Amino acid sequence: MSLARYLIQRIFQSILILLIIIIINFIIISLAPGDPIQFVAGDIAISSPEFADYLRAKWGLDKPLHERLLMYLYNIIRGDLGYSYRYSEPVINLILERLPITLLLTLTANILAFALGVLIGIYSAKNLGRKIDTLSHVIGLLLWSTPSFWLGIVLMIIFSVNLKILPATGMINVRNPPQGIWLYLDIIYHSILPITTLTLITLPLYFKITRDSMIQQVSEDYVMTYRAIGFSEDIIFRRYVFRNSIIPPITMFGIHMGFAVAGAALIENVFGWPGVGRLLLDSIRTRDYPVILGIYVFVASSVIIANLIIDVIYALLDPRIRITGRR
Amino acid sequence: MIRLIRYARAFIQIIKLLIRDKYGVAGLLIISMIIAIGISAPYLSLPDFNSTEFPRLEPPSLEHLLGTDYLGRDMLSRVVWGARISILVGFVAAGLSAVIGILLGTLAGYYGGLIDYVISRIIEIFFMIPTFFLALTLAAIYGSNIYMLMLIIGLTTWPVTARVMRGQVLVAREFLYVEAVKAIGASDLRIISRYIIPVSIQPAIANTILQVGNAIMIEAALSYLGLGDPNYPSWGRLIYEGQPYVATAWWTSVIPGIFLLITVLGINFLGDALNRILNPRISTRNYT
Repeated sequence: MSLARYLIQRIFQSILILLIIIIINFIIISLAPGDPIQFVAGDIAISSPEFADYLRAKWGLDKPLHERLLMYLYNIIRGDLGYSYRYSEPVINLILERLPITLLLTLTANILAFALGVLIGIYSAKNLGRKIDTLSHVIGLLLWSTPSFWLGIVLMIIFSVNLKILPATGMINVRNPPQGIWLYLDIIYHSILPITTLTLITLPLYFKITRDSMIQQVSEDYVMTYRAIGFSEDIIFRRYVFRNSIIPPITMFGIHMGFAVAGAALIENVFGWPGVGRLLLDSIRTRDYPVILGIYVFVASSVIIANLIIDVIYALLDPRIRITGRR
Repeated sequence: MIRLIRYARAFIQIIKLLIRDKYGVAGLLIISMIIAIGISAPYLSLPDFNSTEFPRLEPPSLEHLLGTDYLGRDMLSRVVWGARISILVGFVAAGLSAVIGILLGTLAGYYGGLIDYVISRIIEIFFMIPTFFLALTLAAIYGSNIYMLMLIIGLTTWPVTARVMRGQVLVAREFLYVEAVKAIGASDLRIISRYIIPVSIQPAIANTILQVGNAIMIEAALSYLGLGDPNYPSWGRLIYEGQPYVATAWWTSVIPGIFLLITVLGINFLGDALNRILNPRISTRNYT
C-alpha cells in the first residue's frame, strides 16, 4: 500500500467516525425528555404559547428529527455549530472565546506532566526494583487514585485558606482589575493552583507508560546483542532504548491533548476558571443543547485530528505501517 | 459441579498468589475493610445519616468523630453509609461493563470479519469521545438515580475491556486444540464458553478490578457536579455539599475524599497485583 493510499484511507475513516459521533450525540440529546424551550424561557413559555412557538420555529425545533440532523450536518460543513439558546451567540464563538483560557491550563499542565512523568519514569526504570523505584511507583498509584476535584479543594484549603499565598478562585482579580502587563501576570498568578492540580493528576499517566515501555525495551533482544558487541550501557540507552521507549508517552501526549479541552472541566469547576469545561457544565445544567453538541463536535474533531497526525507521523517513520496498514 | 470446583480452586490459587504480593495484600486489606464498613453500616448504631438534629458545622470531636455538616448531620454516619453507595455503584457498574466488554470483545475476536469490523469501530469511537462527558450528559438529561448511574457508567466504560478481550481471543482462537475441537464438530457456543473464554479472560478480570475504581471515581465526579442521586450520601456528593464551607469547615469535604482516595488506591493496588499475576507477559499498560 502506498503512503498516499494509506493516508486517504485514514482520512476517510476519520470522517466516517466523526460523522457517527455527531449523529449519535445529536440523537441522544434530541431525544432528551423535557422541552428545552421550558428551560430557556421559563414561565413565559407557559403563559404565552405564541412566544414558545416563535422560539421553536426560530431554532428549528418544530421540524422532524431527521430534517434537523441534516440541517445540522450541512451547517457543520460550513463551520457553523448553531446558536446558543442562552447566550444568543454562535456556538463556535462561545467555544473559541474560551479555548485559550482552557488551553492555558491544559497545555501547560500537560507539558509539565509529560516532562516530569517521563523523567521520573526513566529514572525509576533505570533503578528497577530499588527503593526509589518502589517509592515512585507507590506515589504514582496514589496520585492516580486521587480524585482531581478533591485534590484541588485540598490544595485550595492549604494555599488559599490557611497560608493565604495563592488566590482560591477566578482568573483575574475582579475587584481591582490590573492593567497591561500586570493583567497577564495576574492571570498566571491565578492559574498556579489549577495547573498544579492538573499536573499532579496527569503525571502518573506519563510516569507509568514511560516506565513500562522502558522495562519492555530493556528486555528486548537487540539490547542483549548490543551488550554482547560491547556497547556501553550509556550508548545503548541514549541511541536505542530511549528513542524507542519515548514513543508511547508521545502518543499519549497527542491523544491527551485532543481531550485537553474537555479534560479540565472538573478542575475548572473547582477553581471557577471560565474555560470550555465550565461552559459545557453550565450548558448541561441549563439544557443549552446546541452548545453541548457543539463542544462534543469540537472535542471529537480535535481528538480525531490528533490521532490522524500521530498516525501520519508513524507512517512516515515506520515503513511497516505503510506496507501492511497496521501497527 | 466439577467445573465449579475447578473455578473455586482457580480462585483460591489467585488469592494465594495475591497474598504473596505486597500490593495484593495491601489492596485486599483495604478493600475488605471498606466492604466491611459498608456492610456493617446499619448495625453500627450511628445516628440517622439524614437527621439534622445536631449543631451545624461542628469540628470533629468525641461525640461526632468526623464532625457535622452544614445541616447538622453526623459526618461519620454519612461517610460510613457513603461507603455502601460507592462500593455498590463501583462493583455493579464495573460488572455490567465487564459483561458487555467480554461478550463483545469475544464476538469480535472469534468471528472476525464484519462483526469484528463493526465492534472495533464502535470501540474506536468510544476512545475518541470524552466518555466522562457522555456519562455527564446522560446523567443530566436522563435523570440521576443510583440505578441510572450504574447503567450509564457501565455503558460508557466497557470498550477498554472489550479491546483487551478481543486481543486475547484473537490469539486463543488460533490454538491447535481449538481447531481440534472444531474438527470434532463442537458448536461455536461450546467452543467459546469452554475453550476460548477460560484461557483468555484473565487480563479482562484484572482490567475489571481496575474498572471498579474507575466507576467509583466517575460516580464521585458526577455527584461532585451535583448530578448524583440526591437521596444517598455518596462520597462525591459529600465533597460537593461541603465545598462551599471549606474555608471554615474543611472536614466536610476533605474527609469523604480521603475515604474515596483510600478505596480507589486499594482497588488499584489489587488490580496492579492481579495484572502481574494473571498477565505476566503483558505490562500493565491499561491504566484506566
